[in-house]
Amino acid sequence: MERNQMHTQVANTRKSLFDQGYLDDQFIQLEELQDSSNPNFVEEVVTLYYRDSARFLSNLDQALEKRPLDFSKLDNLMHQFKGSSTSIGAKKVKTECTHFRNYCSARNAEGCKRTFQNVKKEYTTLRKKLEAYFQMSRQVGPVETACQAR
Amino acid sequence: MCKKLVQMMQGKIWMSTNSQGYIQSTSLVLRFQIQQTFNRPMFDLTNFIDQPKSNSIFRGLQVILADDDGVNRMVTKKLLEKLGCQVTTVSSGFECLSSLGPTMSPFHVVILDLHMPEMDGFEVATRIRKFRSRNRPLIIALTASAEEQVWERCLQVGMNGVIRKPVLLRGLEIELRTVLQRAGERLSS
Repeated sequence: MERNQMHTQVANTRKSLFDQGYLDDQFIQLEELQDSSNPNFVEEVVTLYYRDSARFLSNLDQALEKRPLDFSKLDNLMHQFKGSSTSIGAKKVKTECTHFRNYCSARNAEGCKRTFQNVKKEYTTLRKKLEAYFQMSRQVGPVETACQAR
Repeated sequence: MCKKLVQMMQGKIWMSTNSQGYIQSTSLVLRFQIQQTFNRPMFDLTNFIDQPKSNSIFRGLQVILADDDGVNRMVTKKLLEKLGCQVTTVSSGFECLSSLGPTMSPFHVVILDLHMPEMDGFEVATRIRKFRSRNRPLIIALTASAEEQVWERCLQVGMNGVIRKPVLLRGLEIELRTVLQRAGERLSS
């Protein structure tokens, strides 16, 4: 009985990540690639994302300190970070990345700096939520939750 | 139109006229590569014409994937493997070119991210097409861009297909199948 409750909890947590707009369809594609030969694929990809993208964020931080701002370089860095974020289905992060790139095109320094704070905020929030979700999933054990309809 | 098709196949077509200016004959010259037998099993592209729906057609397909982003590499590789391909990944244009060198085992398909630092996908494709080797892989670009100029440039440098990022299983499957079918049709005609 308890186990069923835990399963339901995991499924609900997962559903809320989609409902609240943190994740999109790309995440489902990752789940669909997970199978018995790769039971932790989703978590592995997400872990890799957070490890690799730390570099982009610190480069962006540094580039935003320079005077004058090199909008072309900023846009280029963000393009790469956005690509990675898109691949894991990080919906809110992706949205903020797009705002940032729009400000780059408009050469709006204040806009860039403000949006970058939002990017980092969404990035960190998602990380916490995913860590909690993965930990919960691991406790419950291998489940079909990945394939459940939203 | 015939002329354009033949030019795309890198051949020549011309008409000969007689003394009165009437067309007497048409000549067509096409170059074909003699396939060398490698130790790895040959991939029979003509399979693609007869089996439009089966996914087992990707089994044994040797693919090299070049993308500088680790996350994208990991995901795209998994998608390709799910389709049955055998995938080697590299993280730069340079690595890609050295993996395609004359002493290396042949790859059937090269999947290239266009937006790589140091050497972009266009440069890699241009260099691949310059090789006068018997191994002439199919090249498919990966790009986040939907701009027509980008896609046209892909074709200009000799690529065979384009896949829009983020890569989805369905999109990958369809483009791969299309590119292989076209290649199979060229070989059998």
